[in-house]
Amino acid sequence: MAMTMPAEELELLIAGYVLGNLSSEEAAQFEQLLATNPAIAGEVAQLQSALETTYAPPPMSPPPALRSRLLAAASEVSSPPTPVFSPPSQPFWRSPRSLLELAAAAVIVALGVNNYRLSQALQVSQAETQQAVALTYQLRSTQANSLASAQVKIDPQTLKGTIAVQNLPPLPPGKVYVLWTVLQPAAPFTTDQKDAILTQAFQVNDRGTTEQAIIVPAAFRDRALVTKVAITVEDAIAPQKHVGKPIMVAPASPL
Amino acid sequence: MPSEPSGNPASSLPTPTDAELVLALWDGQQAALGILYDRHAGLVYGLALRTLGNAQEAEDLTQDIFLTLAKGSTYDPRRGALRTFLAILTKSRAIDRVRSRQSAHQKMQRWQQGVTPEATVNQPLEQAFQQEQSQEVQAALAQLSTDEQQILQLAYYDGFSQSEIAQQLDLPLGTVKTRARRGLLKLRQTLIRFTE
Repeated sequence: MAMTMPAEELELLIAGYVLGNLSSEEAAQFEQLLATNPAIAGEVAQLQSALETTYAPPPMSPPPALRSRLLAAASEVSSPPTPVFSPPSQPFWRSPRSLLELAAAAVIVALGVNNYRLSQALQVSQAETQQAVALTYQLRSTQANSLASAQVKIDPQTLKGTIAVQNLPPLPPGKVYVLWTVLQPAAPFTTDQKDAILTQAFQVNDRGTTEQAIIVPAAFRDRALVTKVAITVEDAIAPQKHVGKPIMVAPASPL
Repeated sequence: MPSEPSGNPASSLPTPTDAELVLALWDGQQAALGILYDRHAGLVYGLALRTLGNAQEAEDLTQDIFLTLAKGSTYDPRRGALRTFLAILTKSRAIDRVRSRQSAHQKMQRWQQGVTPEATVNQPLEQAFQQEQSQEVQAALAQLSTDEQQILQLAYYDGFSQSEIAQQLDLPLGTVKTRARRGLLKLRQTLIRFTE
């Protein structure tokens, strides 16, 4: 059993994880070890640091514009990725069988994620047990005669959430809706010239609706930093330019 | 560090792990890419700039690396740290780009002649980097056997896969893996007081 593994063997296994050279059998062993011994995360951090101290140069911040360019380029990539866990020969929507494969892959990934979660024990040990209160922002149209509505729900602990939109008109090609998180001017986060963070770009369907999962900025951990949540229409190739005026806004205080 | 949050440092609440963010990204949540970028772009850009020696090319490669991750790539969260994966991918692609603009060199032959492969790639920057290595790092490397140094450098620094190293050095794959791991453990042992 992994739990009774000799110390030297255990150390070699952790080093193999940091180097990314575990066999599949060793990877399974490592998962089990992480699940039963969260302190291994500390060993991983030490080894990663030793590796980078020796072989990597000091980190250098790229020019700020690169982040925006990357996110814009990524938003143009519309085809879904094929994770290494599920290599179906055709897209899952064309194959009922591969839906099962995808579900199985998701379970495998989830197990791995659980173990990763444990690996963060140094940071989360106390806070993890507390149940955060979900925040709900009800966005209203800035035009009096609009029927559009949008709701953003956020778990400030996990920074995961959903956006649900109704009655927003489908956009012409080249345009995209963007959800923004607007912060206090002095908030310790990188924002654009309008104190906003691009949170999610999205489109609506022919009926003017969409509902999708989102990940929100860490600023939501301190909701006093968030002054509002807003939706604009932007150019699809450069949504980060943030040139559109808000068409829907929710005030600072969530429901 | 790999899992370090990029947000408010005063917060003690957990943030999504790299693995969770990668999963979210593959699930179509583009916002996850921004968070991963914030965590690791410094490492990727630093490596790219040092190897390529050109800021514009380094920017292009940094974008390429994160787009590769967004498209699915070959990263398996169960088998290794994302940060190591990104570093090796960056080095590997940077060296490919340098090779494509220079005459091809046989890096492994160079190594066997006692010349570091990187010296064929970007000699001035490489020399500067080696001069920048602290005495602590040099002392830590001195604790490793020649094999361990060679394998670790080829794997992490020169961007070779373990199987490529095994083939080039005519060693069993298991031996290459074990020597790399032992070498890293020795490095940590010596550097621990500086990395804590």
